[in-house]
Amino acid sequence: MLKKFISWLLLVCIIPLSGCGDQRILESLGFIQTVSYDILPDGKLSISFSIPQADPETTANREVLSAVAASSKEATMKVSRETGMMVVSGQLRNVLFGQSMAEHGLHGHLDTLFRDPSISSQVKVSVVEGNAGELLIEDYKQHPRTGRYIDMLLEKEALGQTIPKVTLFIFARDYFDEGTDPVAPILKKHADNYITTNGIALFKDDRYVTKIEPQNALVFAFLKGSFREGQISLELADTGGDKEIVMFSSLISSRKVKVVHGTEGIEKVTYHVKVTGSVLEYIGDARLSNDRERHELEQRISKELTKKANAMISLMKQHQLDNIGIGKYVRNSVGYKQWKQMNWREELEKLPVECSFEVKIKDYGKFR
Amino acid sequence: MNEKLSQFHTAILIYMIQTGVYVFSFTQIEAKYFGTNGWLVMIPVSILVSLNIYEMYWVYRLGNGQSIFDILEKSIPKFILAPFYMILSTIWALIGCLVAKQYVLIFQMFAFPTTNPMVFKIAIDILAFILLTKGLYNISKASTIFFWCTIWLSFLLLYFVGDFRTERLTPYIFKESYNMTEGFFQIYLAYMGYELCLLLFPYTDKKTRLFRAVIHGHLLRSVSYIILGLVSFGVVGYDMLKVMMFPSLDLLAYIKLPFMERIENLFYGFFLFTTLITLVLYFWAAGESTRRIFPKIKLNVQYFVIILAALLISYIPTVLDTIREWILILGYFQIGFSYIMPLILILLLLWQRRKKAV
Repeated sequence: MLKKFISWLLLVCIIPLSGCGDQRILESLGFIQTVSYDILPDGKLSISFSIPQADPETTANREVLSAVAASSKEATMKVSRETGMMVVSGQLRNVLFGQSMAEHGLHGHLDTLFRDPSISSQVKVSVVEGNAGELLIEDYKQHPRTGRYIDMLLEKEALGQTIPKVTLFIFARDYFDEGTDPVAPILKKHADNYITTNGIALFKDDRYVTKIEPQNALVFAFLKGSFREGQISLELADTGGDKEIVMFSSLISSRKVKVVHGTEGIEKVTYHVKVTGSVLEYIGDARLSNDRERHELEQRISKELTKKANAMISLMKQHQLDNIGIGKYVRNSVGYKQWKQMNWREELEKLPVECSFEVKIKDYGKFR
Repeated sequence: MNEKLSQFHTAILIYMIQTGVYVFSFTQIEAKYFGTNGWLVMIPVSILVSLNIYEMYWVYRLGNGQSIFDILEKSIPKFILAPFYMILSTIWALIGCLVAKQYVLIFQMFAFPTTNPMVFKIAIDILAFILLTKGLYNISKASTIFFWCTIWLSFLLLYFVGDFRTERLTPYIFKESYNMTEGFFQIYLAYMGYELCLLLFPYTDKKTRLFRAVIHGHLLRSVSYIILGLVSFGVVGYDMLKVMMFPSLDLLAYIKLPFMERIENLFYGFFLFTTLITLVLYFWAAGESTRRIFPKIKLNVQYFVIILAALLISYIPTVLDTIREWILILGYFQIGFSYIMPLILILLLLWQRRKKAV
């Protein structure tokens, strides 16, 4: 009995004592929500942190702190001297990289973010056209908390496939995978006090090389993988003078990739994309209720999408980029030795890639 | 202790001893040493372990379920055995305490990084001591409860169905491997713990069907390792697995609830249960060995001394990598033990039988 009592007493003493050592009081913590990185001409980093304010006595919604430092952690230490709160990164949600920084290469900085166990691997990564710090520091009248605004914008747009969902984990995975290159969404600050997504940044290893325009972002999504949900507006090549505009939504797309082998190694790679969706807006001459005319429209949409996809692939080939992961399929279809001997980037530039789209209009709304 | 272990409890107990902190990092070892599709290596290793269990089964059968210490003492004088017992219990006690310390240090990467790790270590040791004083039968019952507390985590793997890509697995097997022999041993360590079934003989009867239980526990562990490996290679890809420290923890971080983020830190706490059983059983094994040398000292006092001594030794390594190295070395000893010991026992049993016949 006594022994039992003593053991319990010990436990009761020790467990609460361990709580005294390492205190984290919610009110005195500054949770970094968003962080932005820019590179200065002298090679140093300009880093800004956005910290939501929980203190009921202030009117400010958030605290923005900036510092110039050689590394991310050094900047955290510098800014913590400017605030009464203890700056922690456990609730970090977004990392913004300025364009110049992305062009310079991200690897070392991603390494820091990935190494720190307090930072979740689910932090979203984006590239900012122009200066990332400026975008973060600005207050947007209609959106009281800039950090939250960015987060919700990215989350929602990724659902509709207009930008890819890119977290630290996904970025790092594509970076390490030999058969694919990373991508990231692009954000842009508008002069009229709002932020917009502005296409997709294509990386070569960890360096930002070129971008895909926002109106073509969905074509990229078709090539990158299968998905449900999304919409695209297409201006079809004129059929006898009149403009034809089609808005294709509730998309369901599935993609098949084939590597065709010839007598001299790989002959070509084919992408076959099946898209089903509803037409909710149509400006043109075809009558959608007529089967034949609708099928013709499907053909025209397929042709337009194929054209766009081919243009996109040649852009990537020209820069020796493989952001849609063709390399993974090529690697899996050739022997290991052959893959290792291959200089994939050079090979890609020469490799013919053919796209074909099969479009199906599932329905065309309430109007015949 | 009159009550004998039940078959189900024993199977769970074996599974729980095998499950430890290794779960967090074994996929990295698979990727590092075996390269592409490294998860496959779990299958041959598991078969090898099964063969080893079969070897132990013969000890059980030939000895009619006698305790291995009884078998040894019948043929070998005690003054030779005493130091041997001492070495065994030292190894077992050290494994137990280092596993706990490793858990604490990993835990501290996520929470309370500046608290003295020994505070947590002592708290865990006290828990272990309380559990030990209850005897093996109750430990096996507790481990069954802990099993139900943790097994549901495996269903979280369903979360990754959408992100699993067969392309990422690649068609190559063990390309980009490096030093496969060393890797093989390291992977083997992931299964260690089953060898303690050698000590369970006196606590079982015919109804326990000890070896059927051991195999079932081991199979459950193997299947769970293989599935986790497959998912890791298909979701993360071997290129990245190589550079990750604790891939399984990062996989857990993938899971995000709409109302709560970063729940992986909560999940991590559940692994205390499996770690606790591992260390309790190793301490228990150490006690089984020392009670043969000091039959007159009360068992609980022996446990106390073992835990205290192990605790003092565990002050020495403070760096995660050092602990890993220590565990590796001890683990190699343990692999040696698990193959050589049954062999010696079988030979002794055959010899004893022959002597009887003459």
